[in-house]
Amino acid sequence: MKINSRQICFIMLAYTAVSRLLLYATALSDICGNDLLFPILIDFAVQTVVMWAICFLCSKTDKTFFGLLENTFGEVVARIIYGLLTLYFAFSAVFPMMEQKQYVGQIFYDTVPPLLAFLPFFIFSVYAGSKGLKNIGRCADIALPIFVITFAVMLFMAFSEVDLSNLLPVLKTPATKIFEGALGSFFRFTEPGFMLIFMGHFRYRKGDAAKITLSYAGGGLIVILFAAVFYSIYGVISPSRDFAISKVALFFPAIELIGRIDLIALYFMEVAMLFALVINIQFAVHCLKKCTGLKIGGIWSLAINIILLVLVIVFDSSFSGINQFFSKWAWIVTAVFALLFPLLCWTLKKGEEK
Amino acid sequence: MKRINYRKYSVMLYWLIFLAMLCLYFTNDYGLVDIHKTSIVVAASIDYENEEVKVTAQLAVPQPSQSGESVKYTAVQGSGLTVADALNEINSKTGFFPKLLFCRLFLIGESCQQLNLFKTMGCLYRKYFSELTALVAMCKGNGYDMLQMNAMYSQETSEAIQQVLADEAKRSANVSSVNLKDLAIDNYSKSQTCYMPYIEAIKSGTSAPGGGGDSSGGEPAKTPDSGQSGGSSGGGEDGQGGTSSGNSGGGQSDEVEFTARKTAIFKDGMFSGILDEDQSFALDILKNEIRVAMLPCETESKHCTMALKDVSGDVSLTVDKGIPKLNIKFNAKARIQGAGEKVDPAKTVKDDIVSQEVLKATEKAVKERIEQLIEVCKESGCDLLGAKDKLHKFNYKYYDAFKDNLLDRMKVEYNIKIESAN
Repeated sequence: MKINSRQICFIMLAYTAVSRLLLYATALSDICGNDLLFPILIDFAVQTVVMWAICFLCSKTDKTFFGLLENTFGEVVARIIYGLLTLYFAFSAVFPMMEQKQYVGQIFYDTVPPLLAFLPFFIFSVYAGSKGLKNIGRCADIALPIFVITFAVMLFMAFSEVDLSNLLPVLKTPATKIFEGALGSFFRFTEPGFMLIFMGHFRYRKGDAAKITLSYAGGGLIVILFAAVFYSIYGVISPSRDFAISKVALFFPAIELIGRIDLIALYFMEVAMLFALVINIQFAVHCLKKCTGLKIGGIWSLAINIILLVLVIVFDSSFSGINQFFSKWAWIVTAVFALLFPLLCWTLKKGEEK
Repeated sequence: MKRINYRKYSVMLYWLIFLAMLCLYFTNDYGLVDIHKTSIVVAASIDYENEEVKVTAQLAVPQPSQSGESVKYTAVQGSGLTVADALNEINSKTGFFPKLLFCRLFLIGESCQQLNLFKTMGCLYRKYFSELTALVAMCKGNGYDMLQMNAMYSQETSEAIQQVLADEAKRSANVSSVNLKDLAIDNYSKSQTCYMPYIEAIKSGTSAPGGGGDSSGGEPAKTPDSGQSGGSSGGGEDGQGGTSSGNSGGGQSDEVEFTARKTAIFKDGMFSGILDEDQSFALDILKNEIRVAMLPCETESKHCTMALKDVSGDVSLTVDKGIPKLNIKFNAKARIQGAGEKVDPAKTVKDDIVSQEVLKATEKAVKERIEQLIEVCKESGCDLLGAKDKLHKFNYKYYDAFKDNLLDRMKVEYNIKIESAN
């Protein structure tokens, strides 16, 4: 077994939360105003059900997703679907990567940094991508404590400025706006796709389905808490405050005296963010290996990263356009691969029940 | 012949490159800045002249260590149709492109009263300029004049101004300090009203009229129509001995002190008037977290200066039988800090428990100031206590019914309770 259920729980809790701390709350506050928590709630409710469905399936079979596909449709179809999953995970890495690039450029640099400043990420990404599922689990072991501590520090620094009345009145935003917010940010919900790949790669023990599902729901609650804190601080001007996590602690009294100490926490949190970001690339490489049957992770990782690098260079100055594109259309891709695929798993031949 | 293990070296090389790049990633070495060529904007004033925005930036220029002083302060001016234009001109003069991350103060000159505040300062709310933590204040006269005055108790003028806007002053109800974020949240709330301290310079060693804690008759709230025009304020209005734009040339050799006990108010971004010290005090005790506030009051027998502790001010809005009601609750514990009579040590001890007469007089003084503030709110249409915002948040179903004339229709109920501190 390549990964254990504890590590999957860590991924579902920490990566789910840390990957939604930059533009997610800002974008939702633009669409839904003070009701930004409701689209988050809707998306997480839907995906938590999907997550539970896959986890529950794991209790019924030891087969991997590839094994299930092979068992039902044959090897060729399984390879084709894994090819599609490769594209899906690579596609899912594009927006978070560009978001991360903007974040690093704006927050960690006093002046406008050149594109070159972001390129070291790809060295890390190529290396991490070449590693297998076992490595993903180990990364999660490192990322979780880092995330928990840094997030707690940021919240502590933010609380002095929180005014929860900014979240009132509740549910006065038109339902269409809330639905628009939920749909527009649905492309971020790739986690059930992760679970598809984890299937059959961990030893399922009784209660694991509940643990993993609850971890995912826990990640969702952290995101909701963070969005509430962010909007409570900035209220109606939240839509103009990009990269929410870097903005919540700015009014902590000590910062005025001794400078941006919140950046220390943010630097550490960046480690967890990078792990959460490369997991898409790691899955893409895993799927490509299964699709081609060639276990040359390093080469595949290099190839995928080169494509992503080209995209980053080409769209370097079009982040707003990319953002709009993903908000408008990428939910379709996510609905297919992280909603439909996991649910359709139940229709595949599971072989002998455990 | 020994074969070289390329695999081993390639891994080492990979890690070396990775670590080196990681250092660059986190330390901004690609954007390395020569400290001798750096000028950091620590404060800026914004004025409006000849249909142009004039921004004066107070710069901190790091000095080589051998010169003795670590930082030198200087001012650079830029102008243009927007603040961004003016800042760009400043950048072109200083050769440095700052994001105003270290700018701690924005001083708005009186000449900006004719413009919408959020048009003037619009660029500061865009994504790349400011983190919204900087303090904002309006000043008497021109901002650039004020920034170039010689502050008595600080080497740098903007530092001296920030001292009067400091948190401690705010917690003693002496100033209604706000930062860029507070200003925008207030303005873009349903109340569409914001405020900022109004800074005046006074000649060192003198006291502005009404500047003492026991003042009772400051200037009433002025409206734009009341004849205040930007840049024309020669010292001496209402007898004030302030240094202002009109005489700043001569005033620069004189040391000045700053005071910010008045408050400029804005409705939907447009300047609406100035609250005097009493009205500002009322605003402060209801909106801010106060530790100790000094309040003068008159009893039948003497004048007392009361110290108010454990202050809690709260404003809520309820709708009772179709009538909106603004509930003002104010609780504090008081002790006599000073009295207009000769001190008799034997009797002073008895003042530890404040008499009912003095407590009632204190309650009356608090109520009078709050009433004055509400009167200004009604007259100017500025919803300074956020009644409309509270209606929207807590009584949403009545919002449409009352939003247009809430300030006129609402009843005000006072619940002011002052107890003896001992």
